[in-house]
Amino acid sequence: MGASAVLAVLGKPADAHHSTSMYDMDNPVTVTGTVKKFEWTNPHAFIFLDVKDKDVWEVELMSLNHLRSYGWLRDTVKPGDVISCTGGRARSGVTSMISSLIKLADGREIRS
Amino acid sequence: MASGAKYFFLFGSALGIVAVLHAQTTQAQVQTGADSGVVSAGKGNPYRTAATLAPRIVSFDAKPSTDIKAGEMVTLVWLAENPTRTTIDPEIGTVSARGSRQLTPTATTTYTLTVRGAGDTTLTKTVTIRVAGRDAVNVAVSAAPKTIPRTPDGKPDLTGVYGSSFLPAAANRKAEGPSPSTEARGYYGAPAELKPGAEKFRIVRAADDAGPTANCMPLIGPQAFSVPYPFQFVQNARFVVLMHEYPGVFRLIPTDGSPHPVDPDPAWTGDSRGNWEGDTLVVDTVGFNDKTDLSVFNHSEALHMVERFQRTSYDTLHYEVTMEDTNVFQKPWTLSRDFNFRPEITRIDEFVCENNRDYGKLFKK
Repeated sequence: MGASAVLAVLGKPADAHHSTSMYDMDNPVTVTGTVKKFEWTNPHAFIFLDVKDKDVWEVELMSLNHLRSYGWLRDTVKPGDVISCTGGRARSGVTSMISSLIKLADGREIRS
Repeated sequence: MASGAKYFFLFGSALGIVAVLHAQTTQAQVQTGADSGVVSAGKGNPYRTAATLAPRIVSFDAKPSTDIKAGEMVTLVWLAENPTRTTIDPEIGTVSARGSRQLTPTATTTYTLTVRGAGDTTLTKTVTIRVAGRDAVNVAVSAAPKTIPRTPDGKPDLTGVYGSSFLPAAANRKAEGPSPSTEARGYYGAPAELKPGAEKFRIVRAADDAGPTANCMPLIGPQAFSVPYPFQFVQNARFVVLMHEYPGVFRLIPTDGSPHPVDPDPAWTGDSRGNWEGDTLVVDTVGFNDKTDLSVFNHSEALHMVERFQRTSYDTLHYEVTMEDTNVFQKPWTLSRDFNFRPEITRIDEFVCENNRDYGKLFKK
């Protein structure tokens, strides 16, 4: 945890418009579930992911300008798609994360 | 629950401690395993892993048809994924990962989409537009570097999109001179010198602070240019307009020789006036309110800022900012850095902060 907090304060290239110090970027996780909703909005896009019919994960992505530069369209993920999101989980343990890459329903991997 | 350790981090600069971060961190155990839908993804920053993803060309087509008559228009449409650079030749050049371009080729032409990405990967795909009765001709591709464009009155034309902070400050890194700033991310320059008694202006952020740029409020000076969003100049003979994608703020900068108002009302971005010193646009700004930050310092309404913009090459914009506030600094504080020209972006995005989050619940329960 310590290293990521240090990086967050010093300024790390992967930062979003806010710091990422609320996420554990040293111990990334992959969360697999079914897309419930995709919010294609600024300052960040969000995916709401049904995981095991039990939890709803709130997955933060980069801003739209970055997603477009990675090749995203507003329907790159759709409700019902089964996807896997990899990134840092909220330090508090709530089911929130910031995702840096996503495996899409057809197996393609894309930066996020 | 994981151990509730306290963390203290000290950051030293040439003049002393920059920031003290204190965190009472209570981290929940991450429940992982196939049954939970959550598995470990190893160690290390996942953004570095993401940067190694292979690029792909998803599509490159001509609509409505690859066969046209002379004088008809055709639209190239493309989509690439995970590229680091995308180009279309001839004549179009650098483009974004997804887009379309309307063309009226006068002869049969083969367009090549080139996508570069991680691991020095280069992918290409071609589309040939056949113009009836007009055979293909060889198109000379010039290798000469592009020159800095100029306006009809001979001034350098800054018009275009630049940034963002994800791009390297290329020329500055190579140049001998100032060291990387310890107080402003991505900038070069000596540490600020606070006047005696002004230590109260130094910002010390708590561990559960999402950062100075998380609330979508206007930014000035170094911070305005160091968020991961591009900015755009529009220029004519009497005005330069500077538009920041984040957070959708614009600055109207008269370059007609008019002075500042005698007593400007305090404003978020102040009152700016520009003039040209040779090929450098010098922007003088006063009339700020005191609600913005100068990286790790607060400031007063006495802030006076001088910014210098110079397009040092077709691809590079050099930025230098000098901040003077007699309530805060012992002497003016200067920072500089370079930004890359972004020809693949023809206009910055609309930005409405409609979906911002309260990140407090993510730090700790």
